Amino acid sequence: MRRLISNPLMLSILVVAFALAMPHAFKSPYYIHLMTLALIWIVLAQGQNLTQGFVGYVSIAQAGFMGIGAYISTLLTINYGVSVWATLVIAPLLTGLMAILAGYPSLRVKGHYFSIVTLAYNMVIFIVLMTFRALTGGEAGIPDVPRPSELTLFGHVLSFEGRSNLNYYALALSAAVLATIVCALILHSRAGRVMLAIRQNEDLAEAMGVITSRYKLFAFVMSSILAGLAGTLYAHYIGFLNPEPFGVDQSLNIILAVILGGSGTLTGPIVGAVSVTFLPEILRFADSFRLITYGLILVVATIFLPKGLVPLIASLWRWLRARQSIPSDNKPTSKA
Amino acid sequence: MNEFLQQILNGLAIGSVYTLVALGLTVVFGILGIAHFAHGSLAMFGGYLTFVFSTSMGLSFFASIAMAMPVGAVMGMLIERLAYRPVRDAPHINAFIIALGLTMMLEGGNLLLFGADQVIIQTPYQQVFDFGGIFVAQLRMVVIVTAVTLVAVVTLLLLKTKTGKSVRAVAQNRHAAVLMGVNVNFVSSVVFAISSALGVAAGALIGALLALAPGVGESFAVKGFAVLILGGLGSLPGAILGGLVLGVSESLAAGFLSSAYKDVISFLIMILVLLVMPQGLMGKK
Repeated sequence: MRRLISNPLMLSILVVAFALAMPHAFKSPYYIHLMTLALIWIVLAQGQNLTQGFVGYVSIAQAGFMGIGAYISTLLTINYGVSVWATLVIAPLLTGLMAILAGYPSLRVKGHYFSIVTLAYNMVIFIVLMTFRALTGGEAGIPDVPRPSELTLFGHVLSFEGRSNLNYYALALSAAVLATIVCALILHSRAGRVMLAIRQNEDLAEAMGVITSRYKLFAFVMSSILAGLAGTLYAHYIGFLNPEPFGVDQSLNIILAVILGGSGTLTGPIVGAVSVTFLPEILRFADSFRLITYGLILVVATIFLPKGLVPLIASLWRWLRARQSIPSDNKPTSKA
Repeated sequence: MNEFLQQILNGLAIGSVYTLVALGLTVVFGILGIAHFAHGSLAMFGGYLTFVFSTSMGLSFFASIAMAMPVGAVMGMLIERLAYRPVRDAPHINAFIIALGLTMMLEGGNLLLFGADQVIIQTPYQQVFDFGGIFVAQLRMVVIVTAVTLVAVVTLLLLKTKTGKSVRAVAQNRHAAVLMGVNVNFVSSVVFAISSALGVAAGALIGALLALAPGVGESFAVKGFAVLILGGLGSLPGAILGGLVLGVSESLAAGFLSSAYKDVISFLIMILVLLVMPQGLMGKK
């Protein structure tokens, strides 16, 4: 078992198998619904982690880019009759295009100021979504966003209609797996190494002859593409679209997810996304204190758990193993 | 032409409030290197507090502000002590994430204590003066004078007092300041007290001039940082000029282009400045 856990490939297969088995273990449609949302959040958080965790630049525009993806996809399917399967590819790419335009000027400033500029982007996106009623329907939103059309796979007809649909769950799961694989590939490539170097010492990386701005832009655009994918999945899953879930608050929640799980790791965003999706359920008794509680968790986690939950879970696991093995080792001595 | 001058005057009033917000941000950033994003939400808390003092206790506008400022100063010192000091030696990104967490807490607290409805602080300064076709609201003049006075007082504090000198010493070179016997913890507390008291005053002025509502604090914090980017980081005259430029351009945009998109336009100006002159209007190359 220990060997299984310590091998990343085996661990990921275990996690995916667990995710596939989940809906069958918990038959409650509500849990399937929440798990689908959590999977969409994994896509979002993996994207956020590229900039926040790898490069060390906290972008506060992730929810805004999620909104751009959601609206592009919805408008393409409703106004131009484009298939959802096509927009699942087109919308994230167009979001990435927007991110190139937004990233170029904002990446000229460093550190905190980059965060502030991205926050301004999120505000602009939100204002435009709210005010440009002719296109976005404003606060009233767009009803009846279609689900993907039926898919025939190996003779089975897969339908995506209905709440807590298992096929949509599988679709979201494949997106989450894809996002994680893409991030893993980036992390282990030259680009990933440069990103980590920028996080550790940007001036030094520049002095070594690396054109850091190029890699920062790459991370920002990839992050936004994943946000656009999450937005597309979200819009066609919920079926109703208004600007509310794409405000600054949501961007802060995504940052919370990455910090809580463990930024700069591949498992962290997964743990964080699932935690943040289920947190409102656990904190339901204190709904009016939710914002305060989230903020408090963010502050406390940053001070006391700067590496997130994943190392904590790992050391807890080791501690439990050690406790299990010590008594069996000690038994002979205590007898004697 | 009159309309144009009118809008410029309106812009100067709101711009002076932006300067006040930016001044609080720039002293914290200069001394501690923290992008204190929760500043805007703390300012809103101060605005609400001023509102409560003036309505429930029947105090005058300025007496209410004077009561609220020390409360804000104490909150600022607590924030510095409890939230920022533990991560002083961690990467700067941690302090910024803490600032975001504090923003959520303060926004949540404001919502819980003061509700979601928008609040306008009533003042007795309701007269309108007519200067040859240009109408000047008394309230705007009061706002400008208050902001100018506060900026002047803080500048004098920083330039003329011994504590101000140690604050500037820490900003220039923290280690050298420590070696010269400057108490960095004390300086940090003082800086947060000053900054937060300024923020409270700004919040009260915003509440009188516009309105207090959930989310307004965040947008003012972003504008405060936009002012710093516009003016050039760490430059005091830059903060003053940047605030006025942002206020005036926003007001002109609202008057002549579209009031719904005035925030969009002010952010576009910030992005344009980043593209053309990343060092800001008054910053050093």
